[in-house]
Formats: sequence, structure tokens, C-alpha cells
Amino acid sequence: MSSRRGFIKSGALAVFGVSLGGVPGFVLKAAQHFNQTQLYKKRKILICIFQRGAMDGLMAVTPFSDEFLKKARPNLFMSAANSEANRLIDLDGRFGLHPSMGSFEQLFKNKQLAIVHGIGSPNNTRSHFDAQDYMETGTPFNKGTESGWLNRATGLLGHDATPFRAVSLTSSQPRSFYGNNATVAISNLNDFVIKGKQPASMMNVTAKSFEELYDQATSKMMQNIGKETFEAVKMLSDIDVKNYKPANGSEYPKSSLGNALKQIAQLIKADVGLEIGFAESSGWDTHFNQGTFNGNFARNAKDLSVSITAFWNDIGAAYQDEVVVMTMTEFGRTVKQNGTGGTDHGRASCNFILGNHLNGGLVYGDLKPLAVENLEDGRDLPVTTDFRSVFSEVADQHLKLNNDSILFPDWTGKHLKLFRS
Amino acid sequence: MNPKKFLLFSVLFVCVIQAFLFYSDKPKQNNEFHFPYQAQGLTERQAAAHLLSRFTFGATPGQIDEVVKMGLESWFNQQLQVAFKEDTLQQRLSDFQFINLTNTEIAKMFPRPAKLLKMAAEDGVISRDSIDLLSKDEVKVRLDSYIKEKNIHTQSELIKELINQKIIRATYSNNQLQEVLTDFWFNHFNVALTKPQVVLFTLVYERDAIRPNVLGKFNDLLSATSQSPAMLAFLDNFTSFGDNDSLQNSRFRKRIEEERMNRFENKVDTAVNNQFKNRKSKSGINENYARELMELHTLGVDGGYTQVDVTQAARVLSGWSIYPMGELAGGQISKLIESLGEEKLKERGFVKNGDFFFVQSRHDVKQKKVLGNIYPENGGYQEGVDLLSMLAHHPSTAKFISKKLAVRFVSDNPPQSLVDKMSKTFLDKDGDIKQMLITMVNASEFWSKSSVRQKTKSPFELVISSLRALKADVIIPFQVFRQLDKMGHKIYYYQAPTGFPDRADYWINTGALMNRMNFGIAIASKQMPAVKFDLLKLNNNHEPENIEQALRIYAQLLMPERDVESTIKRLLPLLNDPALQRKLLNTADSIKRGNKEEGISMELDDLFAKDEQMPIFNHNSLAQVVGIIIGSPEFQRR
Repeated sequence: MSSRRGFIKSGALAVFGVSLGGVPGFVLKAAQHFNQTQLYKKRKILICIFQRGAMDGLMAVTPFSDEFLKKARPNLFMSAANSEANRLIDLDGRFGLHPSMGSFEQLFKNKQLAIVHGIGSPNNTRSHFDAQDYMETGTPFNKGTESGWLNRATGLLGHDATPFRAVSLTSSQPRSFYGNNATVAISNLNDFVIKGKQPASMMNVTAKSFEELYDQATSKMMQNIGKETFEAVKMLSDIDVKNYKPANGSEYPKSSLGNALKQIAQLIKADVGLEIGFAESSGWDTHFNQGTFNGNFARNAKDLSVSITAFWNDIGAAYQDEVVVMTMTEFGRTVKQNGTGGTDHGRASCNFILGNHLNGGLVYGDLKPLAVENLEDGRDLPVTTDFRSVFSEVADQHLKLNNDSILFPDWTGKHLKLFRS
Repeated sequence: MNPKKFLLFSVLFVCVIQAFLFYSDKPKQNNEFHFPYQAQGLTERQAAAHLLSRFTFGATPGQIDEVVKMGLESWFNQQLQVAFKEDTLQQRLSDFQFINLTNTEIAKMFPRPAKLLKMAAEDGVISRDSIDLLSKDEVKVRLDSYIKEKNIHTQSELIKELINQKIIRATYSNNQLQEVLTDFWFNHFNVALTKPQVVLFTLVYERDAIRPNVLGKFNDLLSATSQSPAMLAFLDNFTSFGDNDSLQNSRFRKRIEEERMNRFENKVDTAVNNQFKNRKSKSGINENYARELMELHTLGVDGGYTQVDVTQAARVLSGWSIYPMGELAGGQISKLIESLGEEKLKERGFVKNGDFFFVQSRHDVKQKKVLGNIYPENGGYQEGVDLLSMLAHHPSTAKFISKKLAVRFVSDNPPQSLVDKMSKTFLDKDGDIKQMLITMVNASEFWSKSSVRQKTKSPFELVISSLRALKADVIIPFQVFRQLDKMGHKIYYYQAPTGFPDRADYWINTGALMNRMNFGIAIASKQMPAVKFDLLKLNNNHEPENIEQALRIYAQLLMPERDVESTIKRLLPLLNDPALQRKLLNTADSIKRGNKEEGISMELDDLFAKDEQMPIFNHNSLAQVVGIIIGSPEFQRR
């Protein structure tokens, strides 16, 4: 798994390492090894996690000394006071991290984790669909934008790429990935194989037949993509999702996010050329019984933070320098709790950015006291940082894209300077 | 002849002429059609194959013969008239439960997921206090049994039936052109189930706004979509309010003020006041629909409009909304209707048209100007109708729509000369879609080498063409939906209002291509158990004697009128070589990894013939051959 795999350019090599001439398997493996050119230089990798449903940023990272918040949320407010057995994790004397996100504490202390509070969209829609759509296209006032911002980012990477340049560990393409640049959406990497329920011998002949046919396709495009496909199958043939042992004692939650990040770690370690990864976390729409130290929110917060931390430890020092993880959510939730122990759709939330080159250990953004006169429409945490500012900075500082006119065409603004210069 | 008689005769004569004209307006036997395929070097059978590749979801076995027998022009004319009988289709759709419901019925019948949860909580199935203590799985189990017990219909049932009916219609409808166009126009006026508000309305949208208009006038199609709840919800127009300032002069507002002054405190007044107050806090023009109306539905992005036109058009269309129904009883509007009554509302300029409701009190009454056209103040509902009609007849729209149709039916890069011809027809014939198609098929460009087999099938076309070519009996259509998703074509779920792109390079990428091959294998080897077909029956129950025969027979059955020799030549040595198969088998064994459930690591039985000289051939091989053909690059083209 640790070896670098390159494209196998020789047409004589067939799928699964079987050749027409009948070269025995072991010879073939040797040949394969010989052919492994180091095509992939270490590229920077960005992993984005979309928290669908709108995370309550005020519960994830609570301004715990805010009396207005305490009053607005009699059943949801948590204290950071030492006297409490259950309490928030005090980050800086002002903000407290939800205790279910305890695994983030060390990363924050190490200055690898940065938090932006008051982040959101300039478009004040409180519809999940619309807000996600706007965030994922990167154009908050234009529904007609066909492409997602990560697809445009993929197009800007600007070098020879492998089929696994941009991979979403979801069953369908997320809106962020819509567009002209080739991307892959797959929920289980082991599905990336020519397969069927016929006996192995037949499947091999079938796969070989396809390879022959696509090699001779009349359409040049079909021919090229065909070739790329069979190369991609080979590249993934060593990855074993089921029996994967994460490094450094990492334990991923058995959740769909945990599973997705685990596979992204596998892709990274297999050096198949991943540069943009995407995963989803769901269940953040906490209208009912949001809970405090336990309950719906706590469960999601734990899944999110433990998944990310496991991923981070799993890729280990060898890759951490190349990777940035960024979370995002479509909007935040009302300052006041509602009548059913939850919160309703609001405006700003917070997000997490993890990486070795970050100026971490800080809560960025501008949060005024949550008095009614400071709230948007008298009810919501106002958006003080446009999400595009943070996305753009990550794209520029980490992926070196520096092209806001393509990524975020309508945006002109400043970066927060989240990265160490 | 006395004058009286002369008059009588004249009247009769005119009647006869008119009757004649009327009838000649109906399907003329081929007079309108001159298919110039011979000049392009196509035989009649090749032309029939091309026609079927363009106006159906794929030829069924023997269909080329049928078309040739009927006459190509005649077949096409029948398709244009939607004249084929639909016995099979009706039979297939007869046990569908929801496809004939109205939006109101649907809105009543299918609770939102959140409402469902609330109902379950009220009935004590899930206590509010315990909900966070239960695991998600446990909640699901309890909900499922609650749904069963109470006989509740869920929205996922509705979605399933929507998807199923599309697959069934595409596969079995004899009026294929109507289905192909329904797919085309739905995609042109795209809405997506990804937006929760759209889920309830999509079925009726396709059935009532799209399908009946696909071969009619473009303006009728456009206005049907503009007033359909699915579109009003998808692009937010139903929430678009005229701003308060513009309402200063409105008679409606004046009346409210008067009534206030009179302190005439009754129910009506309260409702009206609430409406007014409500607007005050939430007012706002939403431009989404107006923008996409110009950019995607009519003029095209380079159609010559500006942002100012978009804003002005949004003001014209403010107040275009949905009549309250079911749970979607938009509070204030329902109250207004309840308290004032429909008659009074009508007097005040409100317009109800089926599910559509023009809310005069939300309409911006000031003068607007769109693309140089003035819409004087207090134009009410009618100015929206006029705006749509103006856009539907605009030269930019003619160009944009013609190009899009040509891309769908000719090639990804259709010749400009063809687009121009179609565009002229659009303008000359009041946006008559039927006439545009006739112009297209009468043009030499339609039959040229750069058109024949130059389109790449979308995954939906791949799937349906396979089902049709195999004469499959699709018992549970939903089984192919997952396959569509894997190949990148999750029908009804394309989130962008653009609709799925219609170009080869969008559909063909690494993951999608692999899944196309896997689809070939899956369907041929019957991995979708509720999709049944009989390969031998397709060949009149003759069993091919060897692989070569099988290849030849099934390649021609599945890809009629194509040169399949090179495919056969390429495949034969592979499929026909027992020694090679043995080698492959050995290698497969040697690189076998125990962890893979399927594919290369499956245990082998005695499938190999004892006689080393004999190529192996059995029912598995036949499925293999068919799977390879369906996954082949040639089958991906149409």
C-alpha cells in the first residue's frame, strides 16, 4: 500500500494484470513494479466536509459568557464553569467547545485547528436547499450557475491529472462537483472494478473484452476515457476497504462520515493522485430535542470530530503537511431555542479548518454580544464573514489556485489570514 | 341562378372549402415530408434505423422492418400526431396508484417527513422526550411500523412511482417521440426533487404542464410551466412579493387604509391587515425565476438581456404564486380567500387558474420595462402573460430553442445552417414545435454522416434502449434506477435549473464509463431480478451453436443496421480460445485476494469443458456476449 503506483502505459498489460500473451502472474507483477514511475509528485490535498442540515454554531462553539444567549436558551445553554461536572471546553476564555468535540481540543492547542465564527452566506435564504445550492456553487445570488466551486477548483489545478484527482465519497455527485471537469463520486472504493456475478474466469474475459473494444473505439474520446478507466481500475485494485487497518491506532466511527474519511485516507496513502476530496455529514437540522451534553447534537458533534481526528491521525505525519480539512454548513440556527427543545433556521454558523500550516488555536470572526439589536432580523447571529472569504483563502493558500474570478466570480473581499505566512 | 340560390351555393361552397382546409390541416399523407436520406448515401433501412435512433429510446427487435413497411414519412407523421395505440402501456400503468391524482389530492395524501414525525409523536409512537435517546435505526423501525399500521402514504412512495412511470413510459410507449420530447422539455424546464417543496408537485408538472404541450406551441409550454406549482416552488417565484413602496398607489392598499380609518373591525379587516403586516416584514422580489426564465427557458444566456431586464421581469411576475392546498395552506393567503371569498378576490384582480394563484396584493403595480417593452402600471395578471408571450416569440428564443433541439436530435455540434432553418420555422409558425421537427427532418443535415450515430446515449437512453432491445418485461422499474444513479443520471434529481447537459463529454467519464460496462454485465446476467427477458426467444428460440454465431446474431439484434464485423473480429479470439480462458483462470487464481466478494475472486465450478479443444459455450456465455455488447462503445452511441 505504501508503494507509489503510476499509470501502466503498456497496452499489453490487461485488467487485473493478465496479458494476452499468457505471461504468468508473478512475471506480470514484476513488470508492473518496474513500470511504476513516480508520476505523482506530492500534491496538496483539500478535504471538504459538508454538514447538511445547518449546524448550530452557537452550540458547537459557544460564547459562554454571553448573558443574552443564556437567557435565550434556558434549556440548551451549557456553562464552561469549572464547578460543573459537565462543561464546555474553554478555548480562550470567551468561546467554549462542545464537550463531544473533545478530540478537537488538542488540535486547537497545537494551533493546527482554526475556527471561524459568524460565517455564512450573504444571501439570507433560510431554505436548506437554496443555501446549500448557493454555497456549493459559490455564487450566492445565482441559481443558474451550472458548476460547483470544487469542480471549478479542479479545473484550475492545472497539471496532468489522474482519474482520482477529485473524489466524492458519496453515492451521487454533490452539487459542489457538478461541472465540466471529470470527477468521481463513489461511496465504496471496492465498487470501482468491472464486476458481475459470473465466475471469475468469465469476468476476466469480459473485462479484457471491454478493454479491447474501448481500445478500438471509433470515438477518440471514448477511447481515451476507456483507457483512463482501465488504468483507474488497476490503480485501485490494491485498496481493500473492508480489511483496512488505520495507522497510529486510529479508530473511525462506524458512521457514513467515518467510513468516507477512512476511504479518503486510503486514497491518500495509495498515492493515486487525489487532490480534492468530499464527504458529507448529516442530521444537523435540530428542530426537536437538540439536547445539550447528550442527545442529537452531541451525537453528531462527536461523529464529526472523532471522524476528522481519526482521519488526521491515520494519515499521520507523512501526509499531514499536504492536507487541509475544511467543514462547511449552509447556515446556522436561531439564537433563541424554540418550543420543541430545538432551534430553527438562522443565519451564521461556524466552521473548522485543520492543517499544519494554519495559524490555528484561534477563533476568527466577529461576534458581538447577542443582544436583540445586534441580531439579524432580531433573531439570528448575523453573518460577519462571507463563506467565500474562507473558501477562497483555503483555495489560494493551500491549493495555490489564486483565481477568485473563476471560483467566486461575484466576490470581492478580504481573507482572514488563517494561514501562517 | 337567382341571387338567393347563389348566396346559398356560395355559403355551401365556402363550407366545403373550409372543411377541406380543416381536414388538410390534419395529417396529410406525407406531403409535408421529403426525407433526403438517399442523397446522403443512406439506404432505406439505414434511414429507418437513424430515424428510430433519434425519435425513440431505441429500436425494438423488428422495428426497422415495421417502419420500412409503414413508410418512413408515415411513421414519423404518426409519431407527430401521437396516433399510436397504447394498449401495452395502459396495461403496464394500470396498477399505478398515484399517477392520476391532482396536486391538491397529493398534498393532502403525503405528509412531509417532519409532519410524519409529529404525527407519530402525537400518537405516542415516539415520545418527544425519548427521541434523542433512541438510535436513528430504532426511530426508523418505529416509524415504519407506524406508517404501515396507519396506512399512511409516504413521499418516498410517491417518488418511487414517479420514477417508475417514467421508466415504464419510455420503455413501452408506442408514441415514443412524445416520451422523448417529454424527457427533453422536462429537462429544459428542469425542477428537482432535491428541493423538498418540489417533491409533491413534480408528477403533475410532468403530466399536465409538460407532456400535453411537447408537440404544441412553445408559448403554451412556457406558460404551462410558469404557472405550475413545481416551477413556482423550484425557482421561488411563489415567495416573490412586490416591494411596499410600489404599493403606495394600489387601490387595494387604499382600501385597507380606508377600512382602518373607519375602524371597521371585522374578520375581513383583520385578515387583510395581517396580510399587509406580514408583507411588511417579509417583502421582497425574488429574481430567481425571472432570471432563469430568460437565461435557460427562452432567450439563452447571450440572448441580449441585462440585469435590469431580469429585475423588471421579476417585478412583472411578482404575485405569481400557488393556490393554497393541503399542508401548504400558505397561512395568510388561505385566510384571505376564506374571509373575502373567491368572487370578491376576482373582482380585485386575483386570478385562480387551477393550482396557480395570482395574488394581486403581492404584485408590484408600478410601471415596468423589459427589453424595451413597457408594461404600464396596474397591469395586474395580464402583464405577466404578455411578458411570457413576448419572450416566447423573441428571435433569441427561436435561435436558442432551435439549437437545443438540434443538439438533442442531430449532434452535439449541429450545423448552423440547420439551426437557422429551424429558427425561421419557429418565427414563421408561431413557435410550433411540430413544424420545427418537420423542418429538421426534411433537411439534408439531419441525414448527413456527421449526424448518423454521432450522439452518445445518456445513461437513461442506454438503459431504456437495452430494455427495448431485449424486449424486457420490467416488473419493478425501480431496480434500474440505482443503475442510472451509478452512471451519473439520477433522473428527477438534477439540482441545477439547467437540467442535465446534453453532450457526450458530460456523460462519459472514468467512473461513469466503468458503470456502463457493469450495467451491461448486470442486465445481461439478470442481476436485476425483476427485469425479465428471454435471450433465446429473441432469436426465435434458436440456440447459437458457438460463440461466433452468438456474437454475430446478438450484435445484429441489439445494433441493427450497423457494421459489427470489427467488433466481432476483435472479440472472437478472446471469447473463443479455451487455452486463453484457462490461462486467465490460472492468473485469476494466482492474483486472487480473499477479500473481494465479487468479481475476480469467485470460486470456480466445472464450467470448463473437459475437452481442451472445445470452446466453452453455455447460457452463461450467452449472457456474457450480450453483456459485452451492451457495455461496448458502439452500443453507447445512437
